[in-house]
Amino acid sequence: MTVAVEATDVSLAYRLTRDRAGTMKEFAINLLKRKVKREEFWAVRDVSFSLSPGEVLGVIGPNGAGKSTLMKMVARVLPPTEGRMVVRGVVAPMIELGAGFNQEMSAHDNIVLYGTLLGRTPSQMRDRIGAISEWAELDDFIDVPIRSYSSGMLARLGFAVATDIEPDVLVVDEVLSVGDTAFQEKSKERIQRLIHSGAAVLFVSHQMETVREMSDRVIWLDHGRMVMVGDPAEVVDAYARPA
Amino acid sequence: MEAKPWLLPSTGGVVDGVSLPPRLNMTTTYVYDSDQPRRPIVTELSNLWAYRGLLKLLVTRDLTVRYKRSTLGVWWTLLNPLLTMTVLWIVFSQFFRFEMPGDVPYVAYLLSGILLITFFAQGVIATGSSIVNSASVLSKVYVPAEVFAVAASVAALVNFVISLIPLLAIQLITGVGIPWTVILVPIPAFFLLLLVAGLGLLVASAAVYFYDVLDLTAVLTQLLGYLTPTFYPISIVPERFLPLIYANPLYSYLTVFRGFIYEGAFAPTWMFGVMTGTSIVVLLTGVWVFTRSWKNLVVVL
Repeated sequence: MTVAVEATDVSLAYRLTRDRAGTMKEFAINLLKRKVKREEFWAVRDVSFSLSPGEVLGVIGPNGAGKSTLMKMVARVLPPTEGRMVVRGVVAPMIELGAGFNQEMSAHDNIVLYGTLLGRTPSQMRDRIGAISEWAELDDFIDVPIRSYSSGMLARLGFAVATDIEPDVLVVDEVLSVGDTAFQEKSKERIQRLIHSGAAVLFVSHQMETVREMSDRVIWLDHGRMVMVGDPAEVVDAYARPA
Repeated sequence: MEAKPWLLPSTGGVVDGVSLPPRLNMTTTYVYDSDQPRRPIVTELSNLWAYRGLLKLLVTRDLTVRYKRSTLGVWWTLLNPLLTMTVLWIVFSQFFRFEMPGDVPYVAYLLSGILLITFFAQGVIATGSSIVNSASVLSKVYVPAEVFAVAASVAALVNFVISLIPLLAIQLITGVGIPWTVILVPIPAFFLLLLVAGLGLLVASAAVYFYDVLDLTAVLTQLLGYLTPTFYPISIVPERFLPLIYANPLYSYLTVFRGFIYEGAFAPTWMFGVMTGTSIVVLLTGVWVFTRSWKNLVVVL
């Protein structure tokens, strides 16, 4: 069976904000002072893993460990600075849902726009509007500009569009906590269904119970590096153990 | 044909009253490999083709959302240049009293100039700020950044085309008429689009690193606009400044455009040369710079 995601020593460097000259004047001054050093911050360093279809990989680690950066590299948003990332199939990125929503446009138009941003075609999205708005329980507000939506409604809409597909690779970055309890249950169910449909799943979570339950394997990241990888119970226990 | 070869038409459907999302065909192979080299122009063009659905949506969004809250809506596209023209017409035709050579009414001369320069200036600024403005999307979802840039350029073109309607109306009213050469107007429009896209990509790549570039661009495009005979006839320009006007490539675009839209005449051949040459060189430079910086774009954003 072919591998769905294959990361070989991937690293990603951000240039630190304080070193990035915001204006040309600052840049010129820095240049004169010979201070334009390309100081880099390695958010992810030499991470390798491979993931087969149907496998679930949990990613844990403290804040700033590089979990989200790693997810963005799988989702193709950030090209690795070093190393190689190969992803086979359609990726459904569930990272900060709703990016690209336009406040002035109706939910109807936003479903089409957001879905198209995620790589589907406008005509496919138009066919799915009914099902999406029904699932998000937003049928009555479909023609309203979303600037009048509540944050919960926006989250539901984003989640509904992002998951309205059967992807080969699903990237979930802590988005399972949207909406009220009932909606959370509903969205968990949906994620489960996507997993059972054979997608390779990468997910980031701080809820160790969820990680232990859902994953086949777990990666523990700290300061961008892999501390441990392997059996969920072992890694989670080691991570939870006070140092 | 679907926009993405790996996304085949929905084989979803309704099961037990539940509408299923499209099931993807697993046999199609779509592979993302970060090591795959990027080929200038080829990569951009294939990205634009793959995302043409999005491109269309973005252009429509650019054109409609701007006026969403206004009562007149898209009519502002027509009204805007007409109002500018009226102001300039009052100032320069009534206060300054320019003598126009030939028998072309000043309004047609003025409006044609305003429209072309507006297309250029707004196009470059919109394209230049497109990537910075889409940062929130580009840092969360994979979309080739050039789609946003090109959408902004195309939106400026569409605006320009719509605003030709009042110009043609004025030509009819003032008795200038519409010559057959009007069907050739797409030629200067196309080359100006290339110029706008090229300069825009250049500005957009730079704006990611230095936000100031956008302000600088606004000033420079305005300056270039003044150096183009939009509201003044070239005959009033003192001889020692003429080289400056001739050196401005926009003068060639404008002369070609005016020739086609109301004079029914062809501009001198060298102007066609300047027009095509400038467009191609600028576009290639823009794409080249963009290609070199794209990898850092999102990381910096």
